[in-house]
Amino acid sequence: MTVLEGALVRLSRGRPIEQDVSLRLKWDRDTQYQRLLDSEPPRLTNEATMRKDSADQGLPDNKGFGFGIRALADDRLLGFTYLSIASWVHRDAWVAIGLGARDDWGKGYGTEAMRLTLRFAFEELNLHRVTLSVFGNNARAMRSYEKAGFRPEGRMRGAMRRDGERIDIVYMGVLRSEFSWRDGGGA
Amino acid sequence: MIGTLTRLAAVPPAEAAELFARWRHDSEYSRLLDADPQGVETPAQVRRRLEDYEPGDMVRFLIRLVADDRAIGFVNIWPNWHHREAWIGIGIGDAADRGKGYGTDAMRLALRFVFDELEMERASLGVLADNERAVRSYQRAGFVIEGRQREVDARDGRRWDDLVLGLLR
Repeated sequence: MTVLEGALVRLSRGRPIEQDVSLRLKWDRDTQYQRLLDSEPPRLTNEATMRKDSADQGLPDNKGFGFGIRALADDRLLGFTYLSIASWVHRDAWVAIGLGARDDWGKGYGTEAMRLTLRFAFEELNLHRVTLSVFGNNARAMRSYEKAGFRPEGRMRGAMRRDGERIDIVYMGVLRSEFSWRDGGGA
Repeated sequence: MIGTLTRLAAVPPAEAAELFARWRHDSEYSRLLDADPQGVETPAQVRRRLEDYEPGDMVRFLIRLVADDRAIGFVNIWPNWHHREAWIGIGIGDAADRGKGYGTDAMRLALRFVFDELEMERASLGVLADNERAVRSYQRAGFVIEGRQREVDARDGRRWDDLVLGLLR
């Protein structure tokens, strides 16, 4: 048993940018993926810049913990999770997750990868709480986060603007006392 | 930029650095202002920060009393240009100046600036849930409580919640 491995996926060392630059470049060109991932406008980057950024950011530190998500079946790189420490004093972190390819959505990979990341956060880093935000129009992601243990804690009305519409940003949180790897069916 | 009690004024680095360093030294103020551990900075350090900042990323104001021009606090505004949403931070430095409506008056001015000058569509702020006086003031200025981050802060051996408030144009 390893804390970084579930039934469908495992968390692999480093972010995808460090594991497979060409895949990461491909995901970055997908603006629908970018829009679900981030409120920032898409910023395209070339391979050389990405490799340089990767070298600069890939060093382990105590501010953030990035992982690739790999399918156990064929070891394919599916996406990433990133745990960003908001404060060691308050033992609070923010988490982000992305699965690059459409075909890999809706299959439980993301939910399990999130649960592995939470297990790492609570059982390895001994954090008290993990927070995330998700866009109000991304119902699939919200369902996945709830399955992983998150509860909605607030809704910032019309916090961003997309295609002329105001979109809510939903905040979700999970406390260490609410998370159990076992109860979720994990080994 | 002039209300009934206060006005939003420019931030002269030397004067503001002295005030900000002194206010920060007060743990009650520091703990109400944010969740960072108590820090101490010299006025020179604060001044460097004030002189370094890029207008456009963040807008700083000093709050001055209309009556005698005394500087009693600050307002910071962080605009998100592409989503037309701004975060606001506010602080009233001396305990004696709190509970007199100065903060609410200054917040209304800040909101007028956010909506009528920056043309934002939404204002947001975060506050410690136990800071009831601040929450009441924000509600008087028009904000609505939109969420509660449970047990997000650790202090004095227990956990405390934060609130997120929002106000639409």
